[in-house]
Amino acid sequence: MPRPLAALIPVLVLVLVAACAAPQQPSAPAPQQAAADAQGAGPATAPETQVLRVSFAWPTHIDPAMGSDFSSATALANLYDTLVFPEPDGGVKPWLAESWETSPDGLTWTFRLRQGVRFHDGSELKASDVVYSMERLLTVGEGFAYLFTGVVERVSAPDDYTVEFVLSQPNGLFLPSLIRLYILNEDRVRANTKAEGPYGENGDYGQEFLQTHDAGSGPYRVVEFPLEEYLLMERFEDWWGEFVPNAPDQFRMIAATEPATVRTLMANRELDISDQWQPIESLEALQQIDGVEVAAFSNMTGFYFMLNNRLPPLDDLHCRRALSYGFDYDTAVSLEWPGTTAMVGPVPKALGGHNPEVMTYPYDPEKAREELAQCRYADTIQDYPIEFVWVSEVPDEEKFALLFQANMAEIGIPVEIVSMPWLSVVENTSKQETSPHLVSIYVSSDLPEAGPLLKQRYHSSTAATWSQNEWLLDPELDAAIDDALATLDPEERFAKYRAIQADLAERAPSIFVYDQVEKHAYQSYVDWPAARGEVIPVMGYNLWAPAIGLDR
Amino acid sequence: MQIAAFIVRRAVHSVVVLLGLSMVIFVISRILPGDPARVAAGARAPDWVVDNLREQMHLNDPLPVQYVYWLRDAVQGDLGLSLVTRRNVAQDILELFPATFELALYAGVMMAILGVGLGAVSARHKDRWLDNLVRVLSYMGVVTPSFVWAILFLLVFGFTLGWLPTLGRLTEGLQPPPRITGLYTVDALLTGRVEVFWDALQHIVSPALALAMGSIAQQARITRSAMADNLGKDYIAALRALGVPERVVMNRFLLKPSLIPTVSILGLDFAATMSNAFLVELIFNWPGISRYGINAMLRKDLNAIAGVILVLGVVFIVANILVDMAVAYLDPRIRLRTARGR
Repeated sequence: MPRPLAALIPVLVLVLVAACAAPQQPSAPAPQQAAADAQGAGPATAPETQVLRVSFAWPTHIDPAMGSDFSSATALANLYDTLVFPEPDGGVKPWLAESWETSPDGLTWTFRLRQGVRFHDGSELKASDVVYSMERLLTVGEGFAYLFTGVVERVSAPDDYTVEFVLSQPNGLFLPSLIRLYILNEDRVRANTKAEGPYGENGDYGQEFLQTHDAGSGPYRVVEFPLEEYLLMERFEDWWGEFVPNAPDQFRMIAATEPATVRTLMANRELDISDQWQPIESLEALQQIDGVEVAAFSNMTGFYFMLNNRLPPLDDLHCRRALSYGFDYDTAVSLEWPGTTAMVGPVPKALGGHNPEVMTYPYDPEKAREELAQCRYADTIQDYPIEFVWVSEVPDEEKFALLFQANMAEIGIPVEIVSMPWLSVVENTSKQETSPHLVSIYVSSDLPEAGPLLKQRYHSSTAATWSQNEWLLDPELDAAIDDALATLDPEERFAKYRAIQADLAERAPSIFVYDQVEKHAYQSYVDWPAARGEVIPVMGYNLWAPAIGLDR
Repeated sequence: MQIAAFIVRRAVHSVVVLLGLSMVIFVISRILPGDPARVAAGARAPDWVVDNLREQMHLNDPLPVQYVYWLRDAVQGDLGLSLVTRRNVAQDILELFPATFELALYAGVMMAILGVGLGAVSARHKDRWLDNLVRVLSYMGVVTPSFVWAILFLLVFGFTLGWLPTLGRLTEGLQPPPRITGLYTVDALLTGRVEVFWDALQHIVSPALALAMGSIAQQARITRSAMADNLGKDYIAALRALGVPERVVMNRFLLKPSLIPTVSILGLDFAATMSNAFLVELIFNWPGISRYGINAMLRKDLNAIAGVILVLGVVFIVANILVDMAVAYLDPRIRLRTARGR
């Protein structure tokens, strides 16, 4: 070996050993960090700065016209204000909008805005910003835009503090949907809009800028957002709302869900709240760490075995009922985290308008056999093996497939288990001819009431999406759902939801497995409302940092 | 001169290889199941949004036309829009590539030093307990996947002993050095930020070692085998008979010719490390190109898939050229063949 290289070996070994042996210490802030430090940096630079660290699944989209998944919704709720704010009981309360009124025909909604609300750059939030935000959302069409597309006909600002929405038809969900209209600072977005882009005179509509910056007025603002690593937000001291006394100075959303990583971070107190994707075994291990607890609460998500109602033998009601009676729900629930309960009907129990009185199918193999005997495929059932598709990216689903297969073997129904990548599931369920017999899947409601989920799961307009495999294509059911959604009075609307659920439950279009609970490990020094049972049943709002206290 | 001609010849070959690679990747990524525009826009986005996205990405055109569009832009450094990050793929790759390159670089250094070192020790003590120990360790290294090492190092160094950091490239709150090369340790030294260098070095040890373990074991096996073969040759006996010191015999006359197979494998291992790093990057939350590439495949992010594979293809080609040059340096017979134009 050449001498210079040989001489390098001990040096490199020494460096590596020293690196290993050196105790980790907080590093001194670099001069380049002055700006970040002025706004409050991490514990390495300023021990008094309280940072809330939560792990999330990448990617996170912080453009209000793009993000709609869990991590994006969490970030958006912290960066932006909305006209109304969700409440634990499923309703909404005034937020940027101090009051509102509706025209007698239910088509015109007028909101009076709070005065003196400041954006992160210090400018005042005006009605024109609300108009711009809605128009931008509708034009881009992604994220939560579907809540307003075809609903909002036009929006205007009669004065600086009044916004008027005109709807194309009465819509009972319009008001709760406004928790997803994040108000942008029009001037800031326009100043950072690229002239070239797919939106005509609006260029790229500020999309490139809003991928990594915010233009909001919310309680936190973006400090840095390195790709695939983390999103760091800091407290906006001029926010008009109230923080709890020990609310975090910074909120760091870390892009890490690997169980070994999360476990190490939690044990080292480098993570305060885990993501919701940790498997049961990981949560059990996390719970063994001193000072770590697990919070579990309902999150408006149902776990379904979606049956293709058009494909033999499942086009026969009695066969579908045989499957429903033949499945062992208690065992399925026991495979999940404590607190999980079997579904009652087509929507989770936490949703407004849930009907607890619907027909149910408790595990009863004898009754399953009776139903099977009435099915027109009873004699030839062996010729129709049920293809059970589970999403290969969610390995926890396999145990339910195996349980189903074992249960069905007891009553003589053959089942073939297929593990399928998510993209193939999306592709196959988009066409009736390629939809399998059964797909096991989790589906969440966008809003805390039953209507949106019923539409998503059983309405013909959403038949060609992954969120249903049933292909009911029933005009009467569609009309009933549309009618319920158009009903402004909540009580009346909920009554209509309940009637729809009763009808659906009798048809046994799906196997309603269990209401999912959202599970997070968290440090006991985190004073977290959701862990105390004060759950806001809207995705993203349980990690709304102004309400979370840190008592390290 | 011969070396220059060799490099030019290989560069020309490389362009052809890359062109072929780009075609294969382009076709494969587009025949995977799932509509990328629908996946990107979300299940509930209106059809017109999906149609616009398809139009924007030329997805409605025939495959050859799409390829021509892509190639035309790619040669100008524009790798197209990522459907996940909604930024230009070239921009994403520029941001993430240095992290993986730095990781692979440190892993490569570990492979070379520890692999060759262990192999040499093993050969020198052939069939004695030290040799047997290294062989057992090598087998363990070869059969254990890098992600298992990653989890092990994370738990041992990051959790149990608490010696090394567990996450990312720098400690929270520490600002990265001004970007010169994108390699934190190098940039920190170039800008005189010793504390950042030290911190970055501590962060890179565990993931780099996890990535290197398999190759270290393999290099040790290959080096030992080559040295053991040469050890029995007449020229070694002659050198010893002439009284040449054992250290000189081992280092100058035995190790150097024995390194040829090791260097060949090392170059390819280095390149493979870049593409195989995704699980290690995931475990250590390392913001690298390998993890980005896997996420792109899971989400059918067409341009990102093509961009990442193209860049990794270039890494493989460059690594091959460097290996050939190193082998030519180590083996005079190969130099002679090159000089004769064979």
